[in-house]
Amino acid sequence: MESSDNKKSKISRREFINSSVRFSIVLGIGAIGGRLLTRSHARQMVWQLDTSKCIQCGRCATNCVKTPSAVKCVHVYSMCGYCDLCGGYFRPETKELTTAAENQLCPTSAIRRKFVEDPFFQYDIDEKLCIGCGKCVKGCGAFGNGSLQLQVRHDLCDNCNECAIARDCPAGAFSRVSSDSPYLFSGFDSKKKG
Amino acid sequence: MKPIDKYIISAIVFVSLVAFIFWFLKDPVKEFRVNVPGQDNRPNKGSDTSEVIKIGENFVEYTSVNSGLAGKWTHFRGADFDNINKENIKLLDKWGKEGPKIAWKVDLGEGHAAPVVFNGKVYLLDYNEAKKSDALRCFSLETGKELWRRSYKVHIKRNHGMSRTIPAINEKYIVTIGPRCQVMCSNPQTGELLWGIDLVKEYKTEVPFWYTGQCPFIENDIAVIAPGGTSLLIGIDCATGKVVWKTPNPDNWKMSHSSVMPMIFNGKRMYVYAAVGGICGVSADGDDRGQILWKTTEFAPSVVAPSPLILDNGKILITAGYGAGSMLFQLIKNGESFNVKVLQKYRPLEGLASEQQTPIFMGGYIFSIQPKDAGGSRNQFICCKADDCKKILWTSGKTDRFGLGPYTVADGKFFILNDDGALTIAKATISGWAIMDKANIIEGQDSWGPIAIADGRLLMRTSKQMVCIDIREE
Repeated sequence: MESSDNKKSKISRREFINSSVRFSIVLGIGAIGGRLLTRSHARQMVWQLDTSKCIQCGRCATNCVKTPSAVKCVHVYSMCGYCDLCGGYFRPETKELTTAAENQLCPTSAIRRKFVEDPFFQYDIDEKLCIGCGKCVKGCGAFGNGSLQLQVRHDLCDNCNECAIARDCPAGAFSRVSSDSPYLFSGFDSKKKG
Repeated sequence: MKPIDKYIISAIVFVSLVAFIFWFLKDPVKEFRVNVPGQDNRPNKGSDTSEVIKIGENFVEYTSVNSGLAGKWTHFRGADFDNINKENIKLLDKWGKEGPKIAWKVDLGEGHAAPVVFNGKVYLLDYNEAKKSDALRCFSLETGKELWRRSYKVHIKRNHGMSRTIPAINEKYIVTIGPRCQVMCSNPQTGELLWGIDLVKEYKTEVPFWYTGQCPFIENDIAVIAPGGTSLLIGIDCATGKVVWKTPNPDNWKMSHSSVMPMIFNGKRMYVYAAVGGICGVSADGDDRGQILWKTTEFAPSVVAPSPLILDNGKILITAGYGAGSMLFQLIKNGESFNVKVLQKYRPLEGLASEQQTPIFMGGYIFSIQPKDAGGSRNQFICCKADDCKKILWTSGKTDRFGLGPYTVADGKFFILNDDGALTIAKATISGWAIMDKANIIEGQDSWGPIAIADGRLLMRTSKQMVCIDIREE
């Protein structure tokens, strides 16, 4: 009697292998699921440029692997003075403040200027035309409030392992930042941007 | 010909035809946009003269004082137009343990207008945003109490501040220019209105960007002003308000933020003005009073804020921000006329420049704060010799940078104000930068209004407050 009970309680080789395989499959699925879940919640790191370090050398326009560059000028409207004479829009020695091509600083006319009310004008960036050269950023920073700023646009950026611009940036303005806060504006409401 | 060949030839012809039609109809530049004037929908230009402005219409007297003080800071850059206080009063070197002695402070309308001081009274052309009025306010220098106020309604929209000018004063008259070019003359003792001229209406003056920055001055009871409209410069008799001489403006130069500076060269008195369009010298006396003696368009940026810096031997330095840089030139007497010889002309990266404040000329040397587009020396206080403005002798270094704020000299010291209300004392020497002390006076921003010093009191402002500091050494 006892020996037959022992026989029943013993797991056969077939049952053991079946259980092991099932257990392994469940464990594997669990591990993969857990891994995927972890990755989906993990903070990805993305390239961004610190506007406080940027010296507008122009390499963002030429060194990016994308054409045109994934670096674009963005406008922090809350910092803008809405000036008629905008250092980011007009060439320094412009005589007439009109939208004529010869007056514009932007080589691709990516900045649109619109009259708001006397004496204020609004400036909008057409990102399709912007090549990220930073000429407007330099002009705005030198003579205005610095409301025009360069930033990596993450919908355009390939997020290369080794960013070609970061490698050559003379100011060391590029760094990897968390995708939770992917933009590094400087200004009055930097946290709201992006 | 085999039937298959016919099909092949037909297919080639068809494809070629389609390709040709596609090529013919395709416009590769159809999305290109021609950039021409007017795409910003700017309304047609024309000065709005519909608003009725009654210059000096309101007056309020608050109190009166008798002061024994006799110090004077009579107009922009002081009595000698050099921004150097020459009172024989010993001023402090350090702020001391208890910090700066703030005698009083008053709230002002947002802007950069700065005061003049005359016999214990402080005068400032403020803008009252609540009442939408330019207001000439008179304060006691000792207490800061407002004594009287003469004002008039004029609508100003905030545009990097509203007020920007400094009055001109003597015993009998105080003359102001408001943000929208209204000139007002009053009695500085009583506040009585004497006369007013609206330059926009009378001279078709175009109000400059960010409003008027030009400061008037009074010479022999004649107020000298540059409307830049139908007359480039005018001289107004302060007693009557009548214009006694006018300078023609054939080139249609416009009013800048720069102020007229007097100069004597080869015995000839003249007024030097940097307009938007060019620089000129206007005869200040004789039969040709008011006539242009010389002019040049060699340096003509669209914005000029600093005034011409008059140097020795007929040399003049003009500088401007917004990438313009500077030009050093010299007047050459040629018989009865004057010629202009450009000595140096350069970008801000290459030498001494300034965006907003007029540099100081002292002992053959020029002192300035470099503009933001001056590369490595940006915002540094620098010194150069007056005959070579491209050779910087020394700077305040990377750790002592300043903004667009003012600086002045008194008792052998520089008093330099930063944008945010920090005041630095440095030794006024040509041998090098020697900081003595620094203190935060008040919290604020855009502290750009020029400093006035009289009777050992220093008057400075942020964009919204004016402060009087007792800087006398104990």
